[in-house]
Parts: sequence; C-alpha cells; structure tokens
Amino acid sequence: MTSPTLLLLCLFATVLELDTTYAFQLTFSRGIIAGPLLSLLTGDLIAGLQVGIFTELLFSDINPLGGVLPPSAVGCCAVTLALNFLGTPLPVAFFLGVLAAFAFAYAERSVRKIRCRWIGNWEKKIMEQPRLINRTVFLSLLTSFASTFLLFSLFIIAGTALCKWLLPHLPEQSLLAFKLAFMAVPWIGITTLLYSFRLKTK
Amino acid sequence: MWPWLKYLYKENPQQLPSVLERYLETFNTHPVMASFCFGALAKQEEKIAKDRSSDHVQKNLLRWVDTRRSLSITTASIGDRLFWGSLKPLTLLLALFICLFLHINFFEPDLAQTEPSAYIWVALLSAWLVFNSVALFVKWIGISLGYRCEENVCFGLICFDWNKTIYYAKKIGILLALLMLFLGAYFFFKATGPLPNYHAMARGTLMVFFILCSWMAHKLRVANLYIYLIAVLMFGLVSLF
Repeated sequence: MTSPTLLLLCLFATVLELDTTYAFQLTFSRGIIAGPLLSLLTGDLIAGLQVGIFTELLFSDINPLGGVLPPSAVGCCAVTLALNFLGTPLPVAFFLGVLAAFAFAYAERSVRKIRCRWIGNWEKKIMEQPRLINRTVFLSLLTSFASTFLLFSLFIIAGTALCKWLLPHLPEQSLLAFKLAFMAVPWIGITTLLYSFRLKTK
Repeated sequence: MWPWLKYLYKENPQQLPSVLERYLETFNTHPVMASFCFGALAKQEEKIAKDRSSDHVQKNLLRWVDTRRSLSITTASIGDRLFWGSLKPLTLLLALFICLFLHINFFEPDLAQTEPSAYIWVALLSAWLVFNSVALFVKWIGISLGYRCEENVCFGLICFDWNKTIYYAKKIGILLALLMLFLGAYFFFKATGPLPNYHAMARGTLMVFFILCSWMAHKLRVANLYIYLIAVLMFGLVSLF
C-alpha cells in the first residue's frame, strides 16, 4: 500500500509544482492549498492543513521577485506528508520538508541553467519552423515534469532513509526540541505578515 | 501571443520567424499583470502587421519595443505589491480566520480533527476563490484595456487607482494580522486554564521571544525561515544537555 501511495503523491505533487511557473498559475502550488490536497492521498487531512498553513506562513516573506526562486511550498508539503505517512513525527518531518524545499529551489536553479543552454537551439528550430512552437512548449513541460518528479522522488527516498537511520538514535528530548520549534512557526509567520503589510510609502 | 500572431500573419506566414524572434526575447513581469502587456502588444503588433510602409514599420517597431519594456516594469511593480505583497497574505489570513472560527486551532502543535472535513475545505476554497477571482478579473480586464486604450492612458493601467488599492489592502492586512496575534494569545490562554500555570507561562514566554526575534530578523532583512531553523538548532542543542 505504501509504495503506490508515495508514487501517486510524487506525481500529484509534481503536477501541483508545475502550477508555480510552467502551467495553469492558479495558485494550487500555495502551501495552504497544496498541503490539504496532498493529504487526500495520505489520509490525514488535518496534518495536511497544518503543514500547508505552516509552510505558507514560513515562506510568506520570500516572493518570486526578479530572479528570486523561493523554496518550493509543494516540495515541503509533499516531503513532510510522505515522511509523516511513513511514521515520522510531524515536527521532525516538517523540518526535513523545509530542508527539502530549500534543496529543491537550489536544484531547480541548476535545472534552469542547464535548460538555458538548450533554449538557443529550440529557438533556432522554432524560427525555421514556427509550427514547432506547440510541440516545443509541450516537450518543455514534459522535461520540467520529469525533472520535478525525479527530484521529489529523490527527496522522499533520501528523507525516508535518513529518518530510518536517525529516529532510533534521537533522544526523547530532541523530539521535544523539534516540537517546540514547530510550535513557534505560526507566531513567527504571523509576525512576518504584520511586517510585510507595513506601509513604506503611501 | 502565438494564436494572435498566427491570425495576424496568416496571409504572410513567411514573416512569422522574424516576428517570433522579438517575442522570444527575455520578458520578465508579474504573471497576472502581464495581461496589460499582452493587450497593448497585441494592438501594437496589429499596427505593425497592417501598416507595411517602411517608415511606419520602423516607427511601430520602436514603439513596440518601448511599450514592452516600460509596461513590463510598471506592471511587475504593481503586481508584486498587489498580488504577492497584499492579496496572497490577505487570503491566507482569511483562511486562518475561517479555520479559527470553525474551531480548528492551528496554533496547537498536536492538532486533532474534531470538526468535519468540510470545514477545512470551506476555509481553503475561500482563500483560493478570493485570490483567483481577483487575479482572473485583472487578467481579463487587463487584456481588454491594454488592447483598447492608448499610450496616453498607460494602456489602461491608470483606469484603476492601484496605489490606493494597495494602501487599503495593506492597512486591512495589518489590522487582520494584529487581530490574528491577539486571537492566538486568547486561544492559548483559554487552552492553558487558570494561571499560574508554569508550563504555560514558559511556553508563552518562548512565543513572545520568537515574535520579537521574527521582528528583529526582518529589521535585519533575514528571512523568517532561518528563525525556524535556528530555533530547531537551539532547542536541539539545549535538549542534549
């Protein structure tokens, strides 16, 4: 039961991640939407909601302005919910999810750099045959889908292996440490909102 | 723009490659507000396609480049402040308020589902619908205004008072965020029972500490994500001793 659920979770998370930039752009990739949607697969809706809210609050001050690539909210929710589904306590899973979101943004930046090298070639082909434009867009979406799916799967596998190794060695007090930090997230997040709403100029 | 370009150049498809070259250049703006650029550029492209005399082509091409550059900067500035800086956090707060009023206290780390799942979906759907209604409206009206309006009215951008809208949205946001903090404190004290409860007081002190840390971090231009990571590290270290 576990593997098909995780596979579906990765596929669904990849579709949601594409919503960030490449397709739809209907804010399905927001933490608060993606978390509960993904939890439909893991079966713990309330965990999905909490992870979604916390992710969005925590990432609320990093916006995609200019060349900034924010940490992936979908990545954070997917990794957290997958690890929680496999038995990792939610505060620990959330910490690993945040790290995965960071790692995903870094990896995505590298993927974009690689794709930049292909763009010149694609543009050349389009100029020669403008009809190829739809096929190029479709292929581009497909490669984005494949790379995102691969990255999400990789993070979940790595997270699972790490938890399997780490959790038996973690003392009880450390779990409490993760829980205390987890508890602080909404307070940190709402203070951030307060700050980001500040009016610099009228 | 591809369907529009195909339509404009259906009688001269040999011109499409050179036209496409212009559209393949880097274009960076806000995804919702980009609709104003699409509308304005569609109009400019129509002029370029129809008026083929060499003098006018050059003039129209220069205007197309100017429009593209100036509009993309203006719309990005408005879009970032309105959608990312105001509407997104406002709709998040809306969902959080609905959650709290439906007795889903997300401030508690051990959240258990006591309310029907439908309540959760009501909160999420409200945030999603409000954001997308505004975004889709702006997308639709942006294309229409951008196409119909001229340069002297900034291609329809000045039909709305964006600064006033952002100003009021941010003011409402501050009030709602403050209210959310107070509501969080209210639910916290309600859950802990009568004072003095030393466990609750210690927890409360920690929360106040994190609120202050978050505020300070923003003053120092540090993202609050790092506050969380530092908190994990700090508590982890303390727990070892």
